[in-house]
Amino acid sequence: MTPPSPNNGPVLREHSYDGIQEYDQKLPNWWLFTWYITMVWFVIAWVAYYQLSLGESGEEEVDKALANIKAIQLKELEKLTDDKLWAMSQDEKIVGAGAATFATTCVACHAPDLSAHINGAKLPGQPLNDTEWKHGGNPLQVLSIVRKGAPDLTKGMPPWEPQLGLTRVVEVVAFILSKHKQGEPITLAADSPLKPGAAATPPPAAAASVTPPAAPAATPPAPASAVPPAAGK
Amino acid sequence: MKPSTPTLDSLSTIHADGSRKFVHPSDVRGPFTLWRRVAALALLVIYIALPWIPVNGFPAVFLDVQERRFHFFGLTLATQDLWIGFFLVTGLAFSLFFVTSLFGRVWCGWTCPYTVFMEQIYRRVERWIDGDGPARRQLEDAPWTASKIARRIFKHGVFILISAVIAHIFLSYFVSIKALYEMMQHSPAHHAKAFGVVLFLTGALYFSFSWFREQFCIILCPYGRLQSALMDDNSVVIGYDKKRGEPRGKATVEKPAGDCIDCRRCVQVCPTGIDIRNGLQLECIACAACVDACDDIMTKLKRPKGLVRHDSYVGLQGGKTRLIRPRTILYTVMLIVGTIAFSFAITRISPLRASVVRMGGASFYVDSGVVRNQFQLRIINKRNAESIYKIELVGDVPPTLKIIGVDQTITLPPMGEDLKTLVLTLPQADFKEHFKFRIKVTDAARGDSDETRVVEYLGPDPEAAPAATLNAKDFIR
Repeated sequence: MTPPSPNNGPVLREHSYDGIQEYDQKLPNWWLFTWYITMVWFVIAWVAYYQLSLGESGEEEVDKALANIKAIQLKELEKLTDDKLWAMSQDEKIVGAGAATFATTCVACHAPDLSAHINGAKLPGQPLNDTEWKHGGNPLQVLSIVRKGAPDLTKGMPPWEPQLGLTRVVEVVAFILSKHKQGEPITLAADSPLKPGAAATPPPAAAASVTPPAAPAATPPAPASAVPPAAGK
Repeated sequence: MKPSTPTLDSLSTIHADGSRKFVHPSDVRGPFTLWRRVAALALLVIYIALPWIPVNGFPAVFLDVQERRFHFFGLTLATQDLWIGFFLVTGLAFSLFFVTSLFGRVWCGWTCPYTVFMEQIYRRVERWIDGDGPARRQLEDAPWTASKIARRIFKHGVFILISAVIAHIFLSYFVSIKALYEMMQHSPAHHAKAFGVVLFLTGALYFSFSWFREQFCIILCPYGRLQSALMDDNSVVIGYDKKRGEPRGKATVEKPAGDCIDCRRCVQVCPTGIDIRNGLQLECIACAACVDACDDIMTKLKRPKGLVRHDSYVGLQGGKTRLIRPRTILYTVMLIVGTIAFSFAITRISPLRASVVRMGGASFYVDSGVVRNQFQLRIINKRNAESIYKIELVGDVPPTLKIIGVDQTITLPPMGEDLKTLVLTLPQADFKEHFKFRIKVTDAARGDSDETRVVEYLGPDPEAAPAATLNAKDFIR
């Protein structure tokens, strides 16, 4: 047994465990204060969060943030029209930024001059410098392909929006359009899924039906619908 | 009122009713106090100067969170080099183990930023405004007169100002002095986050050093607790020579006394409010103020110094301190191994970073007799200078395998990063089976760094009938 503290120290408590005893002392007030705060906070949090559901759960917060991003994107997309994209193709700054992205990301398949040919050899991509288009030559149709990729999975064009983001995708489209003129004739390529009757010979289109975003192939002769299906909802 | 003597039973900074009892340590002079001040000044100069010294175009230490580049004395690390942080953390831990097992809590008393700020800045300011220890104690007990209020307002104003300066320097480690100066010229609303950080830090520093003080070291700091477990009887700590000192007090003819005259100087100068004569305690931060105080008294009494001194428990009992013991040997070995591993690791940090991943979509494409694999090549130039990189395929590569899309060389601006589409083609006739090869990126101009990534070339099974080549429609339904 420890003797009591010589200089009027704290009192020893009676109980003893394996010879270990404890003093009856007050905890520091500041320490107790933090403890009281946690108790008060527990009641507030429990009532507000679990009983009244005033706060949002982390999941809800994330969902909300994602929905917000999507809404902003849709709003941006709704604002985009063929005319607007054409106008962008005249903006040096936008085209310059698009050219930079094109140079790192797109030249591999579409070639620096957009011809999809390099030194006479054919590259995997579609030529973008002529007036013949496989997936439609309207700016919104081009945009849709860059955003969501080729409807035919067996071709190599991946969806770029997840990686580049909408802004850079739009810039790239503006760059492509800057090599064209508004109002020039647009012809559909021989193997275009948009050609009337192409839906009857399904191989590529069937593949496209796997991916819901690939709207253009599913609704063949509706060129302008490339973007709005997503935007409409 | 007789001053209460600190005991081993209660915290001397807390009254019996739980309220706070402020420690007002008296002034002390001596070699340890002097050297502690010199060390602290050096540390403060380093802390203030590092963001100002440009090395290789960046501040000496610049943790650029926004760009995710971390500059240390000219060496630039990218997020991908985060693994090197393992050595930083373990190295700090082993150093702490090593020093503590040998010399106790010298980190706490001599180099911990908390102590340096507390003792060498805030306590100095308080000494300057409120006077020495007894004067401060007197002022605390004095009634609230106009002069006391004015002094308190002035003192806390200076404290807040100093806290704000320290907080700004702290922020400059993360945004650089230039950006900080830029921000300071605009309204806080322009950069609410940075302003919030500084505001919070200022508040935290002010609270810590104006009120919380030694409570942090005594009750909160985990390193202090950890260090208590790292010491043993042979660790050199600050101790009182009981054999020589006791019985303390005035010697009379009937009652001879030891060397301790019970002048309580050691208690008065202690920043954590303990009596070192009770032996080593949890609160002791090894600041050596009591050593200087006691040596001073002993010199005046013409008695030998060292009644309170740096010694181990064994040494104070009259034994011989063993510095070399299993614990210190183990910590030394760990420290050496860690240093070697770190030195090796740091040489592996390349100023170039390259990675190759297969592009999303199908794993390969067959198009008019050509098998195509699509990758994305990311190159990070960590140098603060333009670099030209050469891309090559190495390993057992068929001669007909071609890279398209990426030129043989890529030029990146200083600290630039690029994500390139890398398309490889191979005539289907030459594709016999899946094979692995390496993509090598070399710093073409300097030739001092390269990175190699292994990738696999995939394609249709040549054994299978051509009609069965991958076609998405075969995999649907």
